[in-house]
Amino acid sequence: MSTYKDRYKSADDGLRFQDLVYQGNFKGMDPVPDGILGDKVLRQRAKSKVLEKVSKEDVLRDQFTVDELNDLNNYLAWNIWDVLVMRATEGVSGMIPRQEYEILAFMHEFYRWPEILEMTTNEVGAQRIIDIGASARREIGTKVNCVHDWCIGAVGFGMGRCGLLALEAIQPQDYVRESNIILKFMQRILWGKRQDGYILNSQDRYRCRIHEKDILDKLLGQIEYFEPGSEKHDSLVRFNAAAELLSFLDHYDCRLGLGDTGPYELPDGKILIIRDLFTNEEVYDWSDVCDHENVPHCYTICLVIDPDKMGLSEIRVNDISTTFTRPKNYIEHIVGGAVFVREKWDTPMGEVYPVKISELDKRLEGIQQATFKLYTKFSRMSRRTLITNGMYVYYIDMILPHLRLAGTYEKACKDYEFWEIDQRVSNYYYDIVKRGFAQATVPQKIFSGEGYLPFPDNVSLTRSKYYWK
Amino acid sequence: MSYVAEGYNSFETKKSPSGIVRYLPDPKSVISLIQSGKLKEHILLVQGGTTTFLAPALSMGSIGVITMSGAPESHLGILSREFQMPCVMTAYLTGSEARYVTGGNNDAHFAAIIKALDGKKVKLHCEDRETGRVSLLG
Repeated sequence: MSTYKDRYKSADDGLRFQDLVYQGNFKGMDPVPDGILGDKVLRQRAKSKVLEKVSKEDVLRDQFTVDELNDLNNYLAWNIWDVLVMRATEGVSGMIPRQEYEILAFMHEFYRWPEILEMTTNEVGAQRIIDIGASARREIGTKVNCVHDWCIGAVGFGMGRCGLLALEAIQPQDYVRESNIILKFMQRILWGKRQDGYILNSQDRYRCRIHEKDILDKLLGQIEYFEPGSEKHDSLVRFNAAAELLSFLDHYDCRLGLGDTGPYELPDGKILIIRDLFTNEEVYDWSDVCDHENVPHCYTICLVIDPDKMGLSEIRVNDISTTFTRPKNYIEHIVGGAVFVREKWDTPMGEVYPVKISELDKRLEGIQQATFKLYTKFSRMSRRTLITNGMYVYYIDMILPHLRLAGTYEKACKDYEFWEIDQRVSNYYYDIVKRGFAQATVPQKIFSGEGYLPFPDNVSLTRSKYYWK
Repeated sequence: MSYVAEGYNSFETKKSPSGIVRYLPDPKSVISLIQSGKLKEHILLVQGGTTTFLAPALSMGSIGVITMSGAPESHLGILSREFQMPCVMTAYLTGSEARYVTGGNNDAHFAAIIKALDGKKVKLHCEDRETGRVSLLG
């Protein structure tokens, strides 16, 4: 028997997925827990209405107030903690220096993105930015998804500003104008995608049910049902896992390679998760090994889960596109599935095609070969190359899908030198490895919430940064 | 039954794999193990909870993993669940007070775990919702 639907009752506070609590900028106040209750507390403490359902007029307005900026700053800081604090215990990779490339990318994004996002908005208009978000409602295999959209604000603004404050490169009153540009871009994309007034899944009890009914019906028409533990079940699970692993690896051990939406409740009470696994991103030169194995841009896996057999008590599709459940093991309760292929990022939806579960084994072999070749390639790279490549994965890929659809990616590369590394960030490379800055200082600032200093109440909304010391 | 180590359980499973613990310090050791054809004889012991380090081992069907950092929400935790491969994370020795500290110097802690487990035949117990356990065999 499942109880997960109780989580959607307005009085319900959800389950706690972790014992840790969050303090952030709320000194002297009760700490904030994870999950649905945490969202409620953050909204109660907000000074503005920006964390409630907002209208299209609100979203089209070009300027946030200082209170709105600070409410978004506080909410994103808690949301980052909510989805990532336990992941932060994972330590060093042994393969890819992720903490090092992450902090460099955070800071680079905060410096470089505002100009590129502003150019994009100027080129296509605010309404088109909303429409780009909305395009995710009618597509699968699109990187306009939770994790990318969230990263614009949570990573580019939130963690980027946090990292630069920790490095004492900027002050809390700096870059107000640029912060507004990043957060407006994020709000427009996310609002357009959800269309319910919210921008984040955590505001909607961790639901991301964005796909239109006719799209869902087409996908459901291809579902093959089976018994848990059957050969078909095992084939699908094996394929899902292997494709997910390659997606992580192609994206340098980060979650930009996968995107879940759901849970969609089906008429018979089962639930559907739609998972995009981006197994071959053509913008990376190392993806050539994926080309050699004929691995497509994206495999989309539809998973039908039986919540009653599982005894499902809560399911979260969080804002970094990852599904977590209680109990944790939903895999053995998958009772149906389907796989779709999008060969390239711009393959029209009409050309996305299904693959029968019985035909997955040959494709699995290609995924395994690509994984081994990619691993071997990475194992021969220098630490410096791995950090540089990883920095590009974050800095380029997080806004790549939006620029592609806006038609401004080429302009960003040509006129704005998108792939160049800012000299300041190049110099920070030498600072971040000292005194545990990347390994200890930044994670502590980010995951305690201490580093997300608010903008001063009386700061000018047009203030940038005018001097360096 | 007494347990030599325990930690976060990546996911609940009745699977209880056993094998010789093999500590993998670097990518070369991962590649070497896969090329030996003996991957499935071993429970893999690794320092981090990230997934790329073990990528080819996961892909080729490793039977169980013990990590010395990380949690079920870490990428390796997620992937171990997807592969249905039992995984005990941020393991510590039950006979020791030492625990992993995020961002701290854990060298002595890691060395003690490697010394206690590497080369030993063990079994993983992952039925519990929260805690995964390791017992010594033979």
